[in-house]
Amino acid sequence: MDTKFMSQRIGKAFRKFFRSGSGKMAFVGAVILVIFVISAVLAPHISPYDPTKRVGRAFTPPNSKHWFGTDNLGRDMFSRVLHGARIALLIALLAVVIASAIGIPLGLLSGYIGGPLDRVLTLVMDAIYSFPGLILAIAVAAVLGTGIVNIAISIAVVYAPTYFRVIRNQVASIKSELYVEAARALGANNWTILIKYVLPNVLPSVVVVLSMNLADAIMTEAGLSFLGLGIAPPTPDWGYDLSNGQRFILMNDWWMIMFPGLAIIILVLGFSLFSEGMNEYLNPNVGQQE
Amino acid sequence: MSLKTYLLARVLLAIPMVLILLTVVFVVLRIIPGDPVLTLLGGKAPIEVIEAKRHELGLDKPILIQYIDYLGNLLKGDLGKSLLTERPVLEELGDRLPATIELTIFGFIIALVIGIFWGAEAARRHDSVFDVSARVYSIFIYSVPVFWLGMVLQLIFGVWLRVLPVAGRIPPLMEPKHITGLYILDALFTANWESLKEAFRHLLLPGVTLGLIISSVFLRMVRGNMILTLSQDYTRAARARGIKEKSVVYRHALKNAMVPIMTVMGLQLALLFAGAVLTETTFSWPGIGTYLVQKIRYRDFMAVQGAIVIYAVMVVTISIIVDIINAWIDPRIRY
Repeated sequence: MDTKFMSQRIGKAFRKFFRSGSGKMAFVGAVILVIFVISAVLAPHISPYDPTKRVGRAFTPPNSKHWFGTDNLGRDMFSRVLHGARIALLIALLAVVIASAIGIPLGLLSGYIGGPLDRVLTLVMDAIYSFPGLILAIAVAAVLGTGIVNIAISIAVVYAPTYFRVIRNQVASIKSELYVEAARALGANNWTILIKYVLPNVLPSVVVVLSMNLADAIMTEAGLSFLGLGIAPPTPDWGYDLSNGQRFILMNDWWMIMFPGLAIIILVLGFSLFSEGMNEYLNPNVGQQE
Repeated sequence: MSLKTYLLARVLLAIPMVLILLTVVFVVLRIIPGDPVLTLLGGKAPIEVIEAKRHELGLDKPILIQYIDYLGNLLKGDLGKSLLTERPVLEELGDRLPATIELTIFGFIIALVIGIFWGAEAARRHDSVFDVSARVYSIFIYSVPVFWLGMVLQLIFGVWLRVLPVAGRIPPLMEPKHITGLYILDALFTANWESLKEAFRHLLLPGVTLGLIISSVFLRMVRGNMILTLSQDYTRAARARGIKEKSVVYRHALKNAMVPIMTVMGLQLALLFAGAVLTETTFSWPGIGTYLVQKIRYRDFMAVQGAIVIYAVMVVTISIIVDIINAWIDPRIRY
């Protein structure tokens, strides 16, 4: 394939992508995500103040020096919101990695082997799936205690069944496909079939689930830290800042509540737009049926 | 399969489900490192005191025996005693259950009304302003943390406009006579209008918060299913017979669209209860959610375990009820 042809193809794909509504949706989501990731990575360099130190008068409403105002300890809210993205993204990513590390292999095995193992695993995973996720996460977090890894584990326990279900159902239908039969007829062993033929075919749906899951994980993390089960203060964290802001709500400290909340909403919106747009773009039939 | 056999099968199938959930709760709270007695008494307690407390709670027995004891006690309806207040956990939970039920039912009704009417209208006028706004609303609301929405409503109605209370369930000494424990109903039954007004004023903000958050799920489901149903032959036939559009949408289509919606609704219970925990905390609503969070702060593991067991039982029970209603509406499900 010569380069000219290749570049034309990419150009065409791009045009098609942006012409469809779902493509635009995914693009807006991606832009939001990129902005958040950049500000999270660069937070220590671009934030105007140290997020954990007193840098002004307590309860200052937003002004030109403190764009988002200051909190009850005189800390700069803008710096805290900026740094909060680090914790939110880090824990969400870690949680999703752990959840998929549990859910994907179990789903592969369960769907491929079938039989009693499959039935037991499905029953257990369904039971966990039907239980209110946040409450389970609360219980695990309460036992494990605070810390980035512990909170990520608590959240991962909730989302592992999601991966399991998606993977298991797909594997169960893929394993009777012709190309899998062909591989087996050619003498490939189970391991090879699973890794080389089945796994690559289920990965695309994992990407969509992953992106949706990151949104949920950020919400759950915010919920846990709102309840006082998240990262220990004074580390900047949106959920903690919100519960801190609520303590003074009768003093009309709207800026302490508004900005961390909007940060969560916009970030989660970014993930939902991206995953939903990609999902509709990759499986256009689903969108039409809706 | 008759409705009776279906009912029996459904209930029997729920038993392993409950058992698994109870086991997960047990595993999470007992096997994962962390010693409830040590955290309760503090690290400086003498070793004999710790051992005595451990013996008293049965924590010195082998883990398998503990598990059997735990299940046996649950069967007897014994959730143990709170480590902190020494009161039976079941009794404490019983005091708080009505508050949670009142909040979740009210929130559920609000979500249902928004979901059904907006969803049906959006489907009827596909791609109109109504429809686009419904889609934007459901994506946006899905991204809003329930406690943030609660705080914004507190700010608007409690702090700026000063028209509604921001915390609690009713002012002290205004509780209606205890009949069901649901203040709204109790006040109605006893014709206690003052209490009714106050109970409703307190319920309004947390109920609306919870309702708005879960309405997005209903809205999406109703809209999607209605679009599908409205394109079916029998809807076209109804229109061809000259039946009024309103009647076609709300009588013919909505009823048929409700079956898949009901099934999914059973799965949304988890969302409802999780949302209720955060809503209760935001509004200091004295339900099981606030109980759970308080007891976690005090490291009262018996109480925490009891609260989670109650949630598990509620989820399973309600999902059975939803399935039975479904089987009753749509006989095809039974087969």
